[in-house]
Amino acid sequence: MGIHGEKSRHSKKHKSSKDDHHRVTEDGNAYFAAEDFDDDRIPEGEPKKRDFTKLELKPDHLNRPLWACADGRIFLETFSPLYKQAYDFLIAIAEPVCRPESMHEYNLTPHSLYAAVSVGLETETIITVLNKLSKTKLPKEMIDFIHGSTANYGKVKLVLKKNRYFIESPFPEVLKKLLKDEVIGKARISAEVVHGADGFTVSKSLNELGGGHDDLLSEAELAAAAEEKDTHAFEIDPVQVENVKQRCLPNALNYPMLEEYDFRNDTVNPDLDMELKPHAQPRPYQEKSLSKMFGNGRARSGIIVLPCGAGKSLVGVSAACRIKKSCLCLATNAVSVDQWAFQFKLWSTIRDDHICRFTSDSKERFRGNVGVVVTTYNMVAFGGKRSEESEKIIEEIRNREWGLLLMDEVHVVPAHMFRKVISITKSHCKLGLTATLVREDERITDLNFLIGPKLYEANWLDLVKSGFIANVQCAEVWCPMTKEFFAEYLKKENSKKKQALYVMNPNKFRACEFLIRFHERERGDKIIVFADNLFALTEYAMKLRKPMIYGATSHVERTKILEAFKTSKDVNTIFLSKVGDNSIDIPEANVIIQISSHAGSRRQEAQRLGRILRAKGRLEDRLAGGKEEYNAFFYSLVSTDTQEMYYSTKRQQFLIDQGYSFKVITSLPPPDCGAELSYNKLQEQMDLLRKVLSAGDDAVGLEMLEEDADEVALMKARRSSGSMSVMSGANGMVYMEYSTGHKRLVKSKPKDPSKRHYLFKKRFT
Amino acid sequence: MPQVKIIAKNFIDMVASLPAVKLDMLYANPFICEAILRSLPPLAKKYVLQMMYIDAPIPAKSLEEWVLPDGLSKHRVAIDRLIQLRVLSETVDRKKETSYEMNKKFQINLQKQLIHGGILPREPMASSSVILPSSEELEIYALEQWEHFLLHLISSNQSEKLTNFSSSMMKVFQRGLLSQRDKEASRLTEYGFQFLLMETNAQLWYIIREYIANAEERGVDPANIISFLLELSFHETGQAYNINTLNEVQLNTIKDLSDLGLVKLQQGRKESWFLPTKLATTLSVSLSDTATRKQGYVVVETNFKMYAYSTSKLHCEIMRLFARIEYELPNLIVGAINKESLYNAFDNGITSDQIVSFLQQNAHPRVAEKVPTVPENVTDQIRLWESDLNRVEMAPAQFYDEFPSKDLFEAVCDFAREYGALLWDDSKKMQLVVKGELHNEMREFLRRQKQ
Repeated sequence: MGIHGEKSRHSKKHKSSKDDHHRVTEDGNAYFAAEDFDDDRIPEGEPKKRDFTKLELKPDHLNRPLWACADGRIFLETFSPLYKQAYDFLIAIAEPVCRPESMHEYNLTPHSLYAAVSVGLETETIITVLNKLSKTKLPKEMIDFIHGSTANYGKVKLVLKKNRYFIESPFPEVLKKLLKDEVIGKARISAEVVHGADGFTVSKSLNELGGGHDDLLSEAELAAAAEEKDTHAFEIDPVQVENVKQRCLPNALNYPMLEEYDFRNDTVNPDLDMELKPHAQPRPYQEKSLSKMFGNGRARSGIIVLPCGAGKSLVGVSAACRIKKSCLCLATNAVSVDQWAFQFKLWSTIRDDHICRFTSDSKERFRGNVGVVVTTYNMVAFGGKRSEESEKIIEEIRNREWGLLLMDEVHVVPAHMFRKVISITKSHCKLGLTATLVREDERITDLNFLIGPKLYEANWLDLVKSGFIANVQCAEVWCPMTKEFFAEYLKKENSKKKQALYVMNPNKFRACEFLIRFHERERGDKIIVFADNLFALTEYAMKLRKPMIYGATSHVERTKILEAFKTSKDVNTIFLSKVGDNSIDIPEANVIIQISSHAGSRRQEAQRLGRILRAKGRLEDRLAGGKEEYNAFFYSLVSTDTQEMYYSTKRQQFLIDQGYSFKVITSLPPPDCGAELSYNKLQEQMDLLRKVLSAGDDAVGLEMLEEDADEVALMKARRSSGSMSVMSGANGMVYMEYSTGHKRLVKSKPKDPSKRHYLFKKRFT
Repeated sequence: MPQVKIIAKNFIDMVASLPAVKLDMLYANPFICEAILRSLPPLAKKYVLQMMYIDAPIPAKSLEEWVLPDGLSKHRVAIDRLIQLRVLSETVDRKKETSYEMNKKFQINLQKQLIHGGILPREPMASSSVILPSSEELEIYALEQWEHFLLHLISSNQSEKLTNFSSSMMKVFQRGLLSQRDKEASRLTEYGFQFLLMETNAQLWYIIREYIANAEERGVDPANIISFLLELSFHETGQAYNINTLNEVQLNTIKDLSDLGLVKLQQGRKESWFLPTKLATTLSVSLSDTATRKQGYVVVETNFKMYAYSTSKLHCEIMRLFARIEYELPNLIVGAINKESLYNAFDNGITSDQIVSFLQQNAHPRVAEKVPTVPENVTDQIRLWESDLNRVEMAPAQFYDEFPSKDLFEAVCDFAREYGALLWDDSKKMQLVVKGELHNEMREFLRRQKQ
């Protein structure tokens, strides 16, 4: 699959250099590299023609919903009566490529098949069901591919029972093979009672039930699937677990282990008294994702992908309530920690003294021997000196055996951070949550093996259709550059000010002002304006007299502004820098205006859209044909003829693949209402231009990516820059939060490698 | 490029455009007279029937009395059509009174045809002596032949088996549809694209017309072919007719017709025969009557993906004109519309409107009822990309170089400036660019300076 090859090569190229920009401060504030700004999905030129016309159509192909190609691509008709079943099946075995209204495309990949196997689908079941759904005979290549990819996956499980680690498999020959490995052989704890010659413990176990694809199998096949199977197992030394896991990864023995937690039989770890409150009614897709996780009565580790606003936190809380053991919940920043703690209290019956937050500002500790801790990734992963108090809490986290490790927004956290977190915390089961598992590169691969496979991924359009998330009208507003701004934009000496010039384009400002007026006055909407460029953010917010939040805004002020936005009738628009992209929950907002963004990041676009996806109003109004079919609006303002146009197309790709469409608007503001808006006179525009040009290069976004950017040169340029405006969102590579408790400003100049955190050291050597 | 106007004209339009002599010759054949009658607009048909047995000229005034005042425009159309076909001839007498008289030959032959019924020059062969294909088989055959021909027409290298047509004949068909630039492979012109988007019948007409127009070059009287084709339309679909009933011209013609899918040729042990297909029997019917909509097959998604439920190589080629083909499956073609593919299409003279209307007209029934059929963002974008190309306007200009002296250069610059036509000048290199329309004056001025 040429496309993916292309992609991962791309991302590899600049990954290492990007990691330079992760900085860690003691206060546990995470700022993660935003990625995929130049992630090329469409290879240049005409791709190889894929001619599969020779595949033999089955006589009743009209009744079957999909085509399967030898290269792994699968096409699914959504209007087929079998669509629902086929969708559930495909999402379990394949990666969605695009899911618009009538036709979905999926890719069968080794990872997707790994995920399939780990939720209990067996090789033969996959092939049988796929063959049933396919309009053509399955290509031999595909059958071979499925066999090849699933041969080793899912054969071995790591199970923690009564605090003893067992390696389980229905195939004794596989276990024997593993034991031949020196590391694993040594790690084995011999059983006292010997069953049979190989000495494996043998038990009966019921196969997967309720996999959801039963209706697609005949009775005989079902009976075969439900048959009891012998499970063979041997015990290993808990100290050696990490090493054994390592040996089983694809780069070694290639029997990646599935991790399952038999929490019901865990008598060692105390139970946590928490239930879902009666009003917490999981929706069908939430149920489905939970059923994938708890399919066989045990808890599987893995990732659940739901769009923003679709209720990821309820899934997380429900999972914690089912397992009923101590739970460590990791979020990306302090605001989001508060929100998670709130969600736990909202949906579950957990007692207040059983839940605590651990951030730089609030270092709570729960009482008793069981509870929920909500903290940030960086608080846990931080390797430098901590305060005494923090050290104690971290020690507790280290020593505790966690029933569930709940990880929010897994897509933003770099893999090495995960490795650190996972090695520090001992957990029986890991659940990752995200809205945009956009990339198909090695970072996702890492997630696959560090956390677990993707357990479930919801279809955005289906959720929109059933009214679970808002139906967003997306629009791209084309703002022509004014003559004067464009002339400056084209000048060579202004190459570093390009971004400032196209963001400050007076026509864009006027379009933005018009949209704010329109939505505030005509519709009474709540508006978020996003700007990555700090200079622009400040200029816009000051000129329009609206509150703004960016990296340096204190936690207190942030909370105050958000509170005012939620409750006050006078505060209907707020300006946010990159800090607002993820996990700040602003359910009131239903309009987004994006005036500047981080190059071609598909993920950022999706995350920003996610801010307004939470469904508002009554369900029946929201459904197709209802009076409020579109009640959320996403505007992306781009200056025409600038590199922004090019980025814009890239950015939208993910959403377009989910079935969203961007309407292009070319004439804003309308000609009749131009006079009342700012910068109507040439003189004002010229003043603005002078201001942009006289601002320091670093203030206006020195390191913005040029479209013809040579990666290496670019990275160098970025490394040498170190101003505040860069760090707080102007360049979009990173974002950071500053803890007001310490009032410490962090310079991001290249540090002496010896002083750097060891995680980053190797990047410099 | 030869002027070929493609309007969905029909056979009768072509008949009408024949010179008077040829037309009169055609009217010697009663079948042609009936075919003409069938093709007429309803009101014109009525006039012909009413005047069938009137030998004298009829004053225009009395004709006008036959219609109600609001039917006057239709009346005009009908009369114009009849005059065009020389069924009626118009005379103006000394008192400036107009009157119409029917073409005698036409009148007599039509009378015969109506009274006695037509007798074809040949009868169907007995069903015992031949094995006839079913009507479905025949129809599939006809469409296949036709598609095959089209494929060959638009991309000669694509089709596996060559048609019977000589390459010179093919070139005649391609004239106006394809353009050849330098040594590149020939490309479809704007007309060519329009042609592909037309319905089969209209396309057939275009080809038949070229075929007939070219007849003389091949030493064949066009009237002979026309009369044979019209005769064919009175044959019965799917019946076998013995080939030995054909004359030499017809024999040659029938081979070409089989390449187009109008007839199927079959050979028995002793005899050969041809079976007219639906394409042949609907020849003389005017287009509007047969404009039955074909079922669409294209689904366009909001992500610019295009899925065509089709097994046709031709459809694939048509889509390739403006989209990138990504997958070809047994009964599905997967393509993507993107900027590059569209620019390519625009470059070939295909317009956004043509593409959009193609997508709309061929929409799969699944999306055909939806409003809009093709997602708005896609149609908008296609138009926007096109209008993006039109932002730059080309105007002719002249570049002057190699001035012998600075003085002359300055003088020329001043001259051009005076007319407000100086677009650019570089005094160091002594070069200037002037609006094209001033070129003659500039030349004149330069000549005068030299003297």
